[in-house]
Amino acid sequence: MGSTPTASTMSFFMRNTTRFLSLCIILLCAVLPAQAQLGGAITFSFAGHAAQVPRFGSRIELLPVLQLIGAQAGYSQAAGTYVIQLADHQIQITPQVKFALVDGELEKTNDAPVASPGGLAVSESYLDRVVLSPLGYHLEQSGTGYRIAPGAMVAPVVNVRAAAADFGSTTTLVLTLSRHVEATVTSGTGHQLLVHFTNARPQLDGSLPMRSRRIEAIQAAGQTLKIELAPGQGLLASHQLTGPARVIVEVGRRPPTPTPAPVALTKPSHRPTIVIDPGHGGTDSGAVASSGLEEKTVSLAVAKRLAAILEHDGYVVRLTRNGDEGRALTDRTALANRLGAIAFVSLHANASTVSSVRGAETYYMSLHDATDAHAAETARKENAAGAPARHGSELDLILWDMAQARVLNRSALLALDIQRQLNSFLNLPDRGVKQAPFVVLTGATMPAVLVEMGFLSNPAEAAQLADPGYRQRLAQALARGIEGFLRSSS
Amino acid sequence: MIRRVFLIAAVLVALAALAFWALKPGGFHRQTGVSLTPTPAPTPTPAPEARIMLLFPGTDGMLHPELHTVPLPAELNQRVRAIVSQLLAGPATQLLPAAPYPAQLLGVFIDGRNNAYVDLSGPPEPLTGSFSELMLTYSIVDSVLLNCQELNGVQLLFDDHEVQTLTGHLDLSRPLPLNKSFIATP
Repeated sequence: MGSTPTASTMSFFMRNTTRFLSLCIILLCAVLPAQAQLGGAITFSFAGHAAQVPRFGSRIELLPVLQLIGAQAGYSQAAGTYVIQLADHQIQITPQVKFALVDGELEKTNDAPVASPGGLAVSESYLDRVVLSPLGYHLEQSGTGYRIAPGAMVAPVVNVRAAAADFGSTTTLVLTLSRHVEATVTSGTGHQLLVHFTNARPQLDGSLPMRSRRIEAIQAAGQTLKIELAPGQGLLASHQLTGPARVIVEVGRRPPTPTPAPVALTKPSHRPTIVIDPGHGGTDSGAVASSGLEEKTVSLAVAKRLAAILEHDGYVVRLTRNGDEGRALTDRTALANRLGAIAFVSLHANASTVSSVRGAETYYMSLHDATDAHAAETARKENAAGAPARHGSELDLILWDMAQARVLNRSALLALDIQRQLNSFLNLPDRGVKQAPFVVLTGATMPAVLVEMGFLSNPAEAAQLADPGYRQRLAQALARGIEGFLRSSS
Repeated sequence: MIRRVFLIAAVLVALAALAFWALKPGGFHRQTGVSLTPTPAPTPTPAPEARIMLLFPGTDGMLHPELHTVPLPAELNQRVRAIVSQLLAGPATQLLPAAPYPAQLLGVFIDGRNNAYVDLSGPPEPLTGSFSELMLTYSIVDSVLLNCQELNGVQLLFDDHEVQTLTGHLDLSRPLPLNKSFIATP
């Protein structure tokens, strides 16, 4: 017994291997859960300093990285949100949410941060793109860890709202930016313009339809906006303005003008064209009655009957679909615009969780929701800010604004005429005419309405909508409404 | 000897427990000497109660007002949460629920343009018909905007995602302004 306690313990362990192993297992059980949660650590370096940042599964603890670069982070218990600040940048992120508020702009993210032992853990791509990039840094692989280097690897987002106005032979495109970013406008290949943003990725707002005859599409690609122009159109001029930050692009026909043969969409006709849109179609069945009757079937059947009546009365009628096929909502109005239609009527059948709900209702866009109101406002600001006014005189803008308002007013009259006929001819309860931003009506340059012809969720109305005789009466009521409107407006 | 071994084992277990405690969630908040400024523990001060007007759908396709008295925080984000939560809790009268399914409020964001983004759990089954879409959308949009007049618009998100439309009718891809055409006149 003259040995030291340590030697004695070791001697005991040597003699009692089984007990020793059991003890080790107990200790491992106590320690392993914590280790599994952390998943080790990874070295981050920044400006000559280094930190061991714990991993949490496949993610990285965020807060030690923020400490390393000197960013301030706070947590709002009430909102459940972390607020990160560095210089004049602020980022708000919330665990389990695929959105971040970056400098006041909502940005979609590919993955979500998660709550972790250290507060919050994020993926490496999230750290790079959502957190470091707006703060002006990026990640670089360095040995087995990372180096945080200055300069955003992924350019931060700049939101771009595009609005265009055609004036005589030219078009003014206004790109309103969420913050000031240097931009250069150049001609690309073919009928393409390129707007390149310095250290910023444009993200199109997309809320404005392009109604310009000269601008066919705008899409973002990396740090560039690609603007597809109509054949023969090109860049006339461009400049930048501030307050708010804008890029102004003038588009028009440039000499010499290549003259591609115009493609005739339809045979020339002196008779006015009406576009009828049977709602839904293809894999999109729309509402379904308990009997199995589908909205897409009802809308197509009534549309065909309506087209026959209108054609008999001397109108050219085009359906947006002639069979059970899908059509993008925006393509339907685009067809009416291309054909220069004098009216656009989208036919639908409704549904409610309350089976007693019945009746027809008619909708048109509201001026506040008609996105051209924003375009007009943007153009007006443009003029007021002292931008070149050679194409955008105040008179032009007022006339343009009035034209948009007139289309909506005429849509309201068309909606009222149709609703009145539906109520009286079919003795339906009047659910009225209302305004809402329907996708299929957005961008229409003619009187455009959406008609909900009845509720498939109401068994009695569903039975009526299945009946060929009722469908014919419905088509007659719609035709009366449309023709009454066209007669009064002509 | 055995007593000594048990003593050593107890010490080791205690050390392991201490290590585990040090690494458990919340460890960050106890760190010292860092430049982070975590918000101090929230003080549970109840928000003052206020009357708000909520709009619930009727079978006539219109939104009908109900007055509710709820704790209403001054902070805008929290106020929107309170309004939408109360709306999703359902009407006090025979009006219809705002959402035709048991929707949960997942989050609220306010952007730099004073637009609110209300993130809801999506419907378990696809909704159909413009009625459900319009009533769900405008009961929330109009209720929030009537009670938070500093806001310009409200956009609905579903399951953390922007959607162009819910049932193929309404354009939900951007914040919507107040739409009075759905509010029933008394």
